[in-house]
Formats: sequence, C-alpha cells, structure tokens
Amino acid sequence: MTNAENKIATLDAEGISLKSVSLWQITWRRLFRRLSAVVGMIVLGVLIVIALTAQWLAPYDPIVPMMDLTPPEPVKARQDPCIHLFGCPRDQPQHIAGIDGNVRDQFSRLLYGARLSLMIGFSTVGFAIIIGTILGAVAGYLGGWADNVIMRFMDVLLAFPSLLLAIAIVTVLGPGLINALLAIGIVSIPAYARVVRASVLSVREMEYVSATRALGGSNIQILFRRILPNALTPLIVQGTLGIATAILDSAALSFLGLGAQPPTPEWGAMLGAERNQVFTAPHLVFLPGIAIALTVLSFNLLGDGLRDALDPRLAHVS
Amino acid sequence: MKRNLFALLSLLVLASMVLAACGGGAATEAPATEEPAPPPTEAPATEAPTEAPAMPEFEGKSLMAADCDSTGIIKGVEATGQYEVTFTLCQPDPAFLSKIAFSVYGIYPEEWLEATAGAEGRTSEGLEKPIGTGPYMVSEWNRGESITFTANPNYWGDAPAAETLVFRWSTESAARLLELQSGTVDAIDNVGPEDFETVSNDANLKLMERPALNTFYIAMTNTFAPFDNQAVRQAIAKGIDRQRIVDTFYPPGSEVASHFTPCAIPNACVGDPWYEFDPEAARAELAAAGFPDGFKTKLYYRDVVRGYLPQVSNVAQDIQAQLKENLNIDAEIVVMESGAFIEESSAGRLDGFYLLGWGADFPHVTNFLDYHFGAANPQFGNQSPTYTEILAQAAQIADVAEAAPLYEQANNAIREYVPMIPVAHGGSGTAWRADVTNPQASPLSNEVFYVSDPGGRDVFVWMQNAEPISLFCADETDGESLRACEQVVEALYSYEINGTAVEPALAESCEPNDTLDVWVCTLRQGVTFHDGTTFDANDVVATFTMGLDASSPLHKGNTNVFEYYDYLWGLMNKPQ
Repeated sequence: MTNAENKIATLDAEGISLKSVSLWQITWRRLFRRLSAVVGMIVLGVLIVIALTAQWLAPYDPIVPMMDLTPPEPVKARQDPCIHLFGCPRDQPQHIAGIDGNVRDQFSRLLYGARLSLMIGFSTVGFAIIIGTILGAVAGYLGGWADNVIMRFMDVLLAFPSLLLAIAIVTVLGPGLINALLAIGIVSIPAYARVVRASVLSVREMEYVSATRALGGSNIQILFRRILPNALTPLIVQGTLGIATAILDSAALSFLGLGAQPPTPEWGAMLGAERNQVFTAPHLVFLPGIAIALTVLSFNLLGDGLRDALDPRLAHVS
Repeated sequence: MKRNLFALLSLLVLASMVLAACGGGAATEAPATEEPAPPPTEAPATEAPTEAPAMPEFEGKSLMAADCDSTGIIKGVEATGQYEVTFTLCQPDPAFLSKIAFSVYGIYPEEWLEATAGAEGRTSEGLEKPIGTGPYMVSEWNRGESITFTANPNYWGDAPAAETLVFRWSTESAARLLELQSGTVDAIDNVGPEDFETVSNDANLKLMERPALNTFYIAMTNTFAPFDNQAVRQAIAKGIDRQRIVDTFYPPGSEVASHFTPCAIPNACVGDPWYEFDPEAARAELAAAGFPDGFKTKLYYRDVVRGYLPQVSNVAQDIQAQLKENLNIDAEIVVMESGAFIEESSAGRLDGFYLLGWGADFPHVTNFLDYHFGAANPQFGNQSPTYTEILAQAAQIADVAEAAPLYEQANNAIREYVPMIPVAHGGSGTAWRADVTNPQASPLSNEVFYVSDPGGRDVFVWMQNAEPISLFCADETDGESLRACEQVVEALYSYEINGTAVEPALAESCEPNDTLDVWVCTLRQGVTFHDGTTFDANDVVATFTMGLDASSPLHKGNTNVFEYYDYLWGLMNKPQ
C-alpha cells in the first residue's frame, strides 16, 4: 500500500517537472533511497570533515614525540588508551587511542592519517582518471592503429597483478609517498582507459555526434564537448570504487615500508611499524586497521550505490 | 689316430700352460722372497718412532709467508708434530686465544677442504653441509624452512642431550614468542623488548637476559660538510638525550654508553665518560660553529633488528625528533636495504647521520676500538692520528694494567674527535621453555645446544631471527649463520657457555713464548670428524691455509672475501 503510494508519488514528481529534472537529480534521489549508500556517504562525510579539520581536532602533534616525559605527561611508549569517560584517572592526560611506539598520541596520528589517506585516494585516482580518460578517449575515437597500440599497452599493464606492479615501480623509483602514489596511479590507469574507450565507442555513433560533425565541429570539439560528457557516468562509478582500491594499495605499500616513510602518520605505515605489538599493545595495530577498513568500506558502499543509481537499466527497479 | 693326436696335442698345450704358470709363479716369487729381506731391516727404522706400524709417517705441512710484508699478523702455521701446531706471528698478540676461539676459525678436515674448493667458490656441498668435529652434524637444510642436525655419535665431549636439533627462524618477534608459547619451539632468540615482562611472568617460560656486550652508535662521516667541523660533531654529541632513548626503546639490562666499548671488557671504560646531555650548550656551540639555525641532512638506517638496536625505526624517529627539537637540525629519514647500507656506510659514502652498531666477536677491547678507529677504516671519514697511533701501540701490550693508560688516552681522544656518538649497550634476551636444562644467553650470541636437554624430548627446536646465509662460516660474518656453524664445527679454543672466558676445545692448550709472538698448540688426540677422518695438525694447517692464504686454491668460500680472517689476522699474499 505504502509502496504503491510512493511509486505514484515519484511518478507524479517525474511527470510534473519532466523538463527540469536532470540526470543528476534523479541519481541523487535514487542514491538517497539506498541505505548502504547513505551509510557510506555519512562515514565518508565524517572522514572528510576530520581530514579537513585535523589540525584543530588533534590534541597533540602527530609527528613530534612528547619530549618532556616528566609530569604532567607521565606517559611511556605504547601505553594503553586513557579515556576519562571510561574510568581513567582524571589526573592523567587523556589519550583516547593510547600512545604509539615513539611516545606520540595515537589518536592525533589517526586523525592526520585520515587526511593523508583521502589525499592519497583522490590524487591517485585523479591522476589515473585524467591519463586514462585521455588514452581511452583517443583510442576509442580514433580507432585503428592508435586504438590497437594504446589498448594493447593497457592490456600489458593489466596482465600484472596491480600491487606487484606497484611494488616493482616503487622499487625502481625508490620508496617514498610520492613514488608510491605515482605507482598506484600508473597501475590503475588501464581500468579507466577501458571504461572510457567502451563509452566513447558506443557514444560516437550517436546521431547527435554525427550532427555535430555535419555542422563542422572539429575532432577535439566533438570529443570533449559531445562525447566525453556523455561517457562520464561509468567513470564516476569506477572512480569511486577505485579510490577504495587506491587507499588499500597505498596502505599495503606503506605497510611493506615502500610507501610513506616514518614519521609520516599513514595508517598502513602505522600498522606495519607496530605489527609485532599485536598482543602487547593491540590498540596500535587494530585502530589503524579499523580506520583503513572503514574508509575503504565507505567508498565501496558509495560506489555500489552510485552504480545502481546511474545504471539506466536499473532505473525502474528501485 | 687323428683323434689321439689331437688329445696328445691338447695335453701338451695344457702341460706347457701349467709349466708356464708354475714357472712364471716361481719367477715372480723368487724376487719376492729375496726382496722382503731388506724391508725388515728398514721397517723398524721408520715405524719405531711413530709406534704405529699400520700408519705412514706423519708429514707435517706448513703455511709460511715469505715475509711479514706479504701477510698480516700471522706469519706462519706449521704442523710441528702430528698433534702440535706452531703459530708464528709478525707481532705480539695478547688476544691470540680470544681470537682463535672465534667460531669462524673452526677446523675442517683437509681432504674435505680440498674436495669442496670449487673453481669460483666453495661448492654447494661445502656451503651447506660442512664437516667438523662438533656435537651435531648437518643432516638437512630445507631452504626457507629449517635446518636439521643430528647428534654426532663419536663426539669427544659430553654426548648431545637431544638426538635431533632443529633451527628455525622468523623475523617477527611476536611470531617467535607465539611459537614458544604454543610449544612448537623450545627456545627463541631476541625476545621483543615489550615482551620481556610477558615472558618473565609466564611460569612455563624462562627469560635469559643476554649481557649487553655491544654498542649502538650514531655515526657521522667527517668527509662531508658540516660534519667535517669537529665543533659541530661535539655540539651534536651534547644535543642527543641518550638516556631517553635507552629508557624508552631498550629492554631491561641495557645501559647508556659511557664509552664506545662496553665496560664489562677490560680497559673499555678508562678515560672520561661521554658528554652529558645539555641542549642549551649544544645549541650555543652549534651556533658558534656557524649553524645558528641548524642545517638539513639525512638519517640513514637499515630496518634490521640487532641486539644493539632492538627497535630500529622507533629509535631513528626519536633521534630525528631530538635533532629537530634540540638542535634544529632537519634530518630526513632514509631507510636502506641492509646489504647496500653496510656497503655504503663502511666505505664512508653516506653523507648524513647513520645508525649502526657492533656486537663483540671476542671479548677484547681491540675488537671494538681497533676495528672502528683503526687508521684504515673509512667508515667515519678521516680517522684522527690522536687515537689511531695509540691504539696500534696498545694492541701489542698483553698486560691489562700496562695498557690502561694508553686506552685512557685513546678513549679521551675519541671523545674529543667525535667520529660517532655511542648511544647504548643494548640488552637482549632469549626465552626458553622452563623444562629445558642449561638455558643460555651468551654475551657473544654463540649459544651451543648440545648441553641443553629439552625436557626429555628427542628434538630440540631453536628459533632465531633469520636464516643462515651459508654454513661455511670461515667466510661468513652474520651472527645467525655463525650460531648454526657453532653446533657443527669447533675451533682450537672455545668460549665458555654463557660467558666470554676461553677454554680449550680442539687444542688441549696453546702456550706462547715470552714475547707472545710464537704460540704452540697441543692438539686433542683421538678426535674424529663427522666423515670419519682423524683430526690432526695438518687439518689445522689446511684450515688456516684456506682462510688466510689468498693465493691458495683452497681459499674459496661463499663470497671469497674471508672478512674475519682478513680483519683479525690479515690475509696472506693478497692480490694487489
């Protein structure tokens, strides 16, 4: 009964404002109807807020160890969390996530880690999307030998397991956060190139493209003004899911000591540095791990939601 | 008729053959009966001295350098009897016994050394299945997994307690402890600093603390600016809070280094103790030296846990933070691969700080000071003659008290010149299941397992940090390899269990002359190698020929560098 009403209501809404409802508005609406996507967006929203305001939220410096260990800071390395709310004596300084191996506040490092991880995710995927889109669009639009050369090269890249290829690239470039970002960016290019090429192939035969060509539009104009904007939707889905993979890959590289170098507060590096304390100081291992898992999960949930919302074939299912 | 003739002919042939056979026999026998006559007159002359009629005369071999210019400390090694070896030195060596007991100088059988010396290096048989006289024999090396040893039934000393000994390894201290707690191994090396408490509180386990016979130091190569300025180095030395590093990152039993050499070693701690931590004075001195705002540099290390540096990355980050906080020096952390790091640092090519340490090979002050501060060592850049000359002098004095003033001078000169900053002597520990007898934590990290009975079980399993590189330890420097070799191969002397004093092993004694430059070693008799051959003086000569004589065809190992032979004795006939 209520379902039927809802359906009618939406149909009404679409029927009334047919001209003013864009694809994006429909997508938003569909997205908000999916609980998993909403959860993903909320978690992501919180993470973004934390990342943007880390310097005000963090109670301590994430990089400089506490130098003066005399009271009022009678802490020692790898101390358990001290939360006043949960019965930690008031006269002790509060460290929500405990102290790490270098006498730094783990909570502050986790907050700064959010900033770094999001930055890593957006920048690598941004890099991969730009390069991948250009390559895929050129391959799909021009076809022929250009298509062959570019896509076979992408196939070669895809043939390697992505993390292994990233490790190989970092080994050549030398360890470090920037090199790790570059490596992850490079290994994720083929996915975007293929997606864009497929979309371009299907769009370029559309009548409005032929119309533009007939009106004398240049290749560049046709490609960037007419084809690409309409090939964008799968790219958004792929990109959102790709950020999750990129964050995971960079954490893996940092865990192995190939990514962010100490003392950078990167979650993977934090986890890797304290992996031997899994029994003696579990908070140092599990909290960064949970942070990575939450971030990746939120991007995955949002990506899945976006895919469903943007897929025209699923338009009437929801 | 024809048939008779044939029979006759064949008979004749047969008869002649018999005659020929008999005649021939007679012809050869005749000299035989004549010849044995002289030997009885000769034989007693040759056989009487050795009193072993079945054995040929013992021909003592020797290794002798042409002169002292073409060799290091050892001029010659001679088999002066079947069970007597004479070492002739080019200079007095008071540390001779301590050095000769080092497991790198374990004795191999002569024939085996010849058989396994390949054209380019030791054969894989030689690298993986060494033959020695030790309590255990290598039975199988399962690469990446484990090494299995079986007891040597003919061992000359006490019979090994466990029939089988297994070496395993894991780089993660948490993983090692987990294996020990679950009972799959009987003892582990290098308990994580944070696990000391867990182990001592566990009634099923026993913690053995290893005395801190090592040094962790922050090195500066003084051929690079601004480390070429002695005032800068002194300022940095005062600007590092070493107590904080030891308190925060080192396990119990560690101590702040007052001198480069740990004080348990005689003459190590004569002279002034290291600079007190004084950040204000340090900043002022750095400013006076021309760096009021600090400077930018790098901090190199390898992410490898050693007894002297149990938490590498944490210590490095703390030093980085201290340099920034106390001296405003920006040091960028650079983690290097272990092999490359050692190569670059020992050649003096690292242009910033680097973190390295040293564990005692043998308990003598020369093992610390002469190695690091000898004139020829480029790892800190240019060495200062203010201490190199004194050290060379002091090394030749046997008497501890007599050498003390020289070491005092040398220690003070090193403190003045600051080629590096000694930070800590790191305690480490092994953990054992409580029912294992004779738990060990050797200050020299050379635990021997044949004395430990694993609670009546047949197999003793030991877990250490890493897999041995090879088991031909004459050409290895890595402690993880040396420990495995020690179960199999023995040297003329050995170190006492859980201690540093030397005791006779394959030699019953080694006696010096008055000037300490000739040492005569009387060897233990009736010792056999794992392959059944008898141990005698020629095996000692062959072993030292293999290690020392760079021109010998036996001089083949894993890397063919023979670092310890070169460093402690000096190679003979080195190619120029």
